[in-house]
Amino acid sequence: MNTRKLSDGQFAWLLMIPGLALFLAIIAYPLASALVTGFFEQSLVRPGRAFAGLSNFADVLGGDFWPVLRNTLVFTIGATLIPFVIGYALALALNSGIRGSGFLRGLFLFPWVIPGVVVSFLWLWIFNANYGVLNGVLMELGFIETTVSWLGQPVTAMIAVIVTKTWASFPWMMVMLLAGLQTMPKELHEAASVDGAGAVRRFRSVTLPHMKGIAGIVLLLEFIWNFQHFDTIYVLTGGGPAGATKTFAVAVYDTAFKGFDLGHATALGGLWMLLLLVLVAFYLRRETKERS
Amino acid sequence: MTATLTRTATVSRRQVKARRRPDQVRSRLAAWIAVVLIGLFGMLPVYWLVATAFTPDDRAFSFPPSLFPTEITFDHFANLAENEQLFGYLVNSVIVSVVTAVLSVVISAYMAYAFSKFRYRGRKSLMHLVLASQMFPQALLLVTLYAVFSASGLLGSYTALILSFTTFTLPLCVWMLKGIFDTVPSSLMEAAAIDGASRLRTLHQIALPLAAPGLVAAGLFAFVRAWNDFVFALTLTDPDRQTLPPGLVHTYLGEFQTAWPDLMAASFVVSLPVIAAFMFLQRYLVGGLTAGAVKG
Repeated sequence: MNTRKLSDGQFAWLLMIPGLALFLAIIAYPLASALVTGFFEQSLVRPGRAFAGLSNFADVLGGDFWPVLRNTLVFTIGATLIPFVIGYALALALNSGIRGSGFLRGLFLFPWVIPGVVVSFLWLWIFNANYGVLNGVLMELGFIETTVSWLGQPVTAMIAVIVTKTWASFPWMMVMLLAGLQTMPKELHEAASVDGAGAVRRFRSVTLPHMKGIAGIVLLLEFIWNFQHFDTIYVLTGGGPAGATKTFAVAVYDTAFKGFDLGHATALGGLWMLLLLVLVAFYLRRETKERS
Repeated sequence: MTATLTRTATVSRRQVKARRRPDQVRSRLAAWIAVVLIGLFGMLPVYWLVATAFTPDDRAFSFPPSLFPTEITFDHFANLAENEQLFGYLVNSVIVSVVTAVLSVVISAYMAYAFSKFRYRGRKSLMHLVLASQMFPQALLLVTLYAVFSASGLLGSYTALILSFTTFTLPLCVWMLKGIFDTVPSSLMEAAAIDGASRLRTLHQIALPLAAPGLVAAGLFAFVRAWNDFVFALTLTDPDRQTLPPGLVHTYLGEFQTAWPDLMAASFVVSLPVIAAFMFLQRYLVGGLTAGAVKG
């Protein structure tokens, strides 16, 4: 093809055709059809469907939605804030000029680098009620007297999935926040020091304002990811016990692939996506601001 | 006059030092406490994975467990090597991840180049759409992808897996590679144009070779993401096309008693290529992460 006659804009669109085609076929079209399916009575395994109006949404809002939203929020907030605090503390520590910080940074990446499903297996084994090392250590130290079924009780199961996800994501927080800290001009701290500011004051008045941008992005991204997280919860608890860790991802998956109820699954998924869209809109606005 | 100035300067510098010393000792101490505590949380599970993989069965299933190995065995790794089913999953993982990575990089390179080097209507909105698309709920996408693949007869094939993995590798690669092309000076391309090279030739013979390290990095990221995926691979394939993550679940979980040491040995092996990839990727890490969501 002779591309010389095309304008720059036309040429650019030409380059994007394969990507856009793939994008439309496997992301845009399925998501759009998911939103439509929410208005139908449809099974995953039988062909054909019947228009159901808003009944799927009414069913979902009158049933699963609220407990699932609560579980999702508890998980998301816990699995975002805890690794943030840990990652921030570690980033500050590694930035304070201690020896071997480069090596330590690499070492701390391990939990994050390990495949998600392996992370789940590992913690499933650690939390194991009969032979788990957590029970073993806590008993040796005298904190508990009998073994605890961590994944078998609603509250501890939620804590367990949050701890697992925290373990897997604090290194990413650390890397991002450390990158932010390293762009902070040293002179700022020295100047504040000369003016008589102590460590706490310098942290509050110099470090925190400088880190606001990156901290906001990191929190928002992690929140978005956790809001749709699936792997760890599915392998560790499968949403149980008694639905205590059933988040949107698990609920939509189960409704579709265990209940074969496509209509209800996509109605729930549609509501979930609306909530996510709000978050994503926040993210895009911040991204645009950062870049300009 | 000069003398006084110098003197105040010295004094203030000394004051700074005096103030900083106890301060520094305290902050160093705090730093080490944080490193050690978080280090225990971060490293003990990794240690436990490796330790269990080398522990004989009878010891692994004793309670309370012994934290330090008294006996080391390679049996669990030997078991893996003899497990033909697992070998099949491994082959599937390699095929699917490599094809996903190559496909994603090739397609997204053109798209990223268009985003980076040209200005045209709709560019910004499209870039945002690509960025946002990787944050749509995967579990919801999965449900309709299943219906789409089922209707088109692709369900259970490698193609279904590769295409579904592309939903998260493509946006990632586009954003990473846009960042890479942004660093290739436009003057080089203008020079080529003056020499009479077509835009396509400029792209292929100047921009792509210059971006080669970035292309490799983006490919490795895509490979890792595909290698790690669990939920698409769990749902969209036949058992004989399944990759390692769901394959391990099928092999080890849901039975009466899980063979934990075998599973930990398998987990160890599955993690190795990913860890190796990240060792190469260290310097791209932060850029790649900010460019898009590496982990969901």
